[in-house]
Amino acid sequence: MGDETREADARVEAQVNQDVLIMEQQRQIEEEISEAIPLVGAKEDLSATLEKEYISDPIYSMKVKDLSSKYSSIRRTRPDGNCFFRAFAYAFFERLLTNKDEYKSFYDIVSKSKDELIDLGFPQFTLEDFYDTFMEVVERVGSGEMAQEELYELFNNQGQSNYIVVYLRLITSGKLQKDADFYLNFIDGNRTMTAFCHLEVEPMFKESDHIHIIALSAALNVGVRVRYMDRGDSTQVIAHDFPEGTTPAVHLLYRPGHYDILYEL
Amino acid sequence: MAGSALRRLMAEYKQLTLNPPEGIIAGPINEENFFEWEALITGPEGTCFEGGVFPAKLVFPSDYPLSPPKMQFTCEMFHPNIYADGRVCISILHAPGDDPMGYESSAERWSPVQSVEKILLSVVSMLAEPNDESGANVDAAKMWREDRAEFNRIAERIVRKTLGLS
Repeated sequence: MGDETREADARVEAQVNQDVLIMEQQRQIEEEISEAIPLVGAKEDLSATLEKEYISDPIYSMKVKDLSSKYSSIRRTRPDGNCFFRAFAYAFFERLLTNKDEYKSFYDIVSKSKDELIDLGFPQFTLEDFYDTFMEVVERVGSGEMAQEELYELFNNQGQSNYIVVYLRLITSGKLQKDADFYLNFIDGNRTMTAFCHLEVEPMFKESDHIHIIALSAALNVGVRVRYMDRGDSTQVIAHDFPEGTTPAVHLLYRPGHYDILYEL
Repeated sequence: MAGSALRRLMAEYKQLTLNPPEGIIAGPINEENFFEWEALITGPEGTCFEGGVFPAKLVFPSDYPLSPPKMQFTCEMFHPNIYADGRVCISILHAPGDDPMGYESSAERWSPVQSVEKILLSVVSMLAEPNDESGANVDAAKMWREDRAEFNRIAERIVRKTLGLS
């Protein structure tokens, strides 16, 4: 091998290591920013907190006004790529603390989910790890003894909070793969649904798109209303219901790249 | 966080001890610290690495299994997907979006349902079938493509070395 090639090769290798270093640094910066925000925050007065946030922004201020005609409070979640799943779980579990009927039908669905996922080819050994933690939390929620504060603490405990997110990701992946014929219409590129799930659904910290929301809400039979707040012309904050036509049990606020929890007036 | 990682690592260790995959032994270096493992991997039959026993170290992050471990061979290695310092570079050790090599979208990535066993089995496949498109060791990738006989000679020498025969 000539010296030139060797040098070129050395450069390629150095380049790769630079890429690794840059990625690590970027991840560290992102982590530092996101760790400054709790996994799930306290309930805040919606108009007070958002009006302050957008005081010098006329478009958003108008939308905050519209939003506060429908919602009283907001609960923020950490922007770590898991915010949709964490916000969904917190809002729904909070509702289940006092809603026995919905709890029962939810419990029936999730207690069967493990076998369904194993049938779809998920490895039993690692799946069980997440299922067991998830069900422990679900049973505690349905015990009738759980106070709001306990739920709040549990969702701010990284271990339990993240395991809940992982299991919801697996349920979402299971639904997408089970009904792949339908959901394939919504994904870009020439890839299989299984490949999509491995890349975009199952790994932690991967952000959610419409398709994740549709699949999770359909799998659990839980209606989700998302309010979209962006720079669009409308003075209203547009609502989308998932699955279409259902009564929402969970209300979320979407601002580009992030989901928080909303509470109706 | 580290609590769930520890519980999971203990369960995986038990599983690997009770049902060890063929040609693989793995476990914590000492039972005081479950976040550092040693693995011994037998070179797959019918390949140039056949007969070798290759030691490697696995280091787990405190948020395992949300994030993958890192793996590094501690013996001399010459392989397209292993850096000169022994670090293993395959897609399953990376979460999507965290892949300096730009793996194909169909390549297996890390997710929390993967396991140490899956990683080690992927490493065995990697020894059998190098991926010379994402070369961590450019010299090895080039030689694998262009001078297979020489590659095999180097592999054989390394195999003998792992057995203490050189």
